[in-house]
Amino acid sequence: MDTSSPAVFVNAEILKMYLGRRVRAVIQVIRNDAGVIVGQSTDGNQITVKGAQAFPPSHFVEVIGIADGSQSIRAEICTDFGQSFDMAAYNGLCQLANGKFKNLFL
Amino acid sequence: MRKSVTPGAISTLLSNSSPDSLSDIPEIIVQVVDLKPIGSSSTRFTFMASDGKMKLKAMLPTHFSSEINSGNLQNLGLIRILDYTCNSIPNQPEKALIVTKCEIVCPSLGMEIKSDVKKEETGITLKPKQEALGVTSKPKQEMVTKSAVQIVREQHGNAAPAARLAMTRRVHPLASLNPYQGNWTIKVRLTNKGNLRSYRNARGEGHVFNVELTDEDGTQIQATMFNEAATKFYPMFELGKVYYISKGSLRVANKQFKTVQNDYEMTLNENSVVEEAEGEAFVPETKYNFVRIDGLGAYVNGRELVDLIGIVQNVSSTLSIRRKSNNDTIPKRDITIADDSNKTVNVSLWNDLATDVGQQLLDMVDTSPVVAIKCLKVGDFQGVSLSTLSRSTVVINPELPETKKLRCWYDSEGKGTSMASIGSNLISPNSKPGSRSMHSDRVFLSQITDDPTLGQDKPAFFSINVYVSFIKPDQTMWYRACKTCNKKVTEAVGSGYWCESCQKNDDQCSLRYILVVKVSDPSGEAWLSVFNDPAEKIMGCSADELDRIKTEEGDEKYQLKLKEATWVPHLFRVSVAYTEYMNDRRQRITVRAEAPVDCAAESRYLLEEIHKLSVS
Repeated sequence: MDTSSPAVFVNAEILKMYLGRRVRAVIQVIRNDAGVIVGQSTDGNQITVKGAQAFPPSHFVEVIGIADGSQSIRAEICTDFGQSFDMAAYNGLCQLANGKFKNLFL
Repeated sequence: MRKSVTPGAISTLLSNSSPDSLSDIPEIIVQVVDLKPIGSSSTRFTFMASDGKMKLKAMLPTHFSSEINSGNLQNLGLIRILDYTCNSIPNQPEKALIVTKCEIVCPSLGMEIKSDVKKEETGITLKPKQEALGVTSKPKQEMVTKSAVQIVREQHGNAAPAARLAMTRRVHPLASLNPYQGNWTIKVRLTNKGNLRSYRNARGEGHVFNVELTDEDGTQIQATMFNEAATKFYPMFELGKVYYISKGSLRVANKQFKTVQNDYEMTLNENSVVEEAEGEAFVPETKYNFVRIDGLGAYVNGRELVDLIGIVQNVSSTLSIRRKSNNDTIPKRDITIADDSNKTVNVSLWNDLATDVGQQLLDMVDTSPVVAIKCLKVGDFQGVSLSTLSRSTVVINPELPETKKLRCWYDSEGKGTSMASIGSNLISPNSKPGSRSMHSDRVFLSQITDDPTLGQDKPAFFSINVYVSFIKPDQTMWYRACKTCNKKVTEAVGSGYWCESCQKNDDQCSLRYILVVKVSDPSGEAWLSVFNDPAEKIMGCSADELDRIKTEEGDEKYQLKLKEATWVPHLFRVSVAYTEYMNDRRQRITVRAEAPVDCAAESRYLLEEIHKLSVS
């Protein structure tokens, strides 16, 4: 198992802190443009995903990739989590994983 | 000349108890009253010498007895005293008049002479005379004083006892009582009487009961009596009667056990005085302390009772609820109340309130009546639910300012607005109804297993999130149950099964689960007793079905079924009780309800717990 560059759990806020690094985020699909997904992050802000295939709107998708902008991720892996997902719980996780318990994750 | 007594004759006689010579005696005429022989003698007579104001015990000379026997002198007659002595009688405060010589003035006046002059004056005027004569004998003075007391007593002696009591008793309003002032009397009505309970604690045994007292202003206070006082007063106190109470003690009320709105509570002991007020009945004005529907959340599952006023929107039909403890059926009716906080709440009326008042409300529900209810218990069924108790009172369209206000509000806006039930606000929107209780009192298994004192008097309830780790395949999984009442049946003589409670035989019975499972969570392990309903959820099939698999499909399939149930997470609501089992005390954990684990809710619960860790 390759643990050389773990993906950081992020939401739109925390994404800014990890530009150029490998991140993972769950977004709710708002719309699909050509090869680009526009979605809502777990803290309510917008995130753009480049290089990803289309997913049905209002589905929750996990994106693992490189953060290449304050609001965008260049996708490597995308997974459809379906239609029911607790955004608040994930957001809590992002905050804890990057705050108090950062050492447990990175 | 009409003969009459000499005014002040007695005082004259008393003042000069032993006149030296006959010439010292002024004209003294007294009336003879209460003339009677001494003992059975016919020669010695005693009487009261009266001058119209005062009386003096006297004795007639023996030689005079013939006059009485002949009728020349009778009772109520007049005599002129010519010679006399006043003697002190040993052991008596009064003096006695010994008449040594007298003459008849009038055989009988036919009536006793009395004068209206105030006797106190006589008393006053007498003293200077006595002092002047230098005869300051105590008995004399005492006699005078006694007269004054006697007068007061006589004056008031005719008054009825209650009136006399009322005059001497100052009634204090309940609101004025405090622990620092002991001399009070209150006039109260017994508005609630508790039961005489026996208890045992570290200090020994005892019994206690308490009552609720209300005075004319509507103020209420709780009074408690222990042991001797309890035995003494329990039969005296009757619901609805009015009593005068004094010599009780007051202390600050224990807010945990408060049932009435008063900062103080009263204790009565054997020295306390409780008197029934004859014929004095008052109906104390009912004091309400209304809580608005949107404020009920704070009272949920608390001990404090609330009062409610609102518009009746809906009345259900009467339901019969069966009580689990003794299988009694009790009538119940649910009504929906709305108030100007734009919220509704459900109130359950029980027993008489359901049948009588409930029916009244049903008949008039179209008029949207205002109803005021006192003493409601606040529960958490469906968020918030109100329930009546035996002491609750329901008044339809009461004469209160709130009634008018509610009427106005309802007619103008309330009728039209759709109002949400207050209960729905208090259930978190994401959890299913019922599963909310799955999250309350969450503990780890170790918290239950480490504490053997849990559930000693009453079972303690918790919720746990555990994995089923082991189900013994060769335990007795089920019992044979009656198809109607689910109670255990025994195999009857011949064929079929006999149900003891239904008192009937049945060819068929159903199998109901009764088993123990081992569960694990991060803190430890425990054995849980599980009954039919939660067991079906664990096993994934009914007991009948499992039995069928075992017998028809073989042991392997049966084991597989058990395996499938293992390492499945569940949320259980459990009760912990400490029971004696064959001289061995054991902690027994029983599953009351089961729910599947809701990951989203669990995540949120965990986030909260983590947050709590960082705060503390």
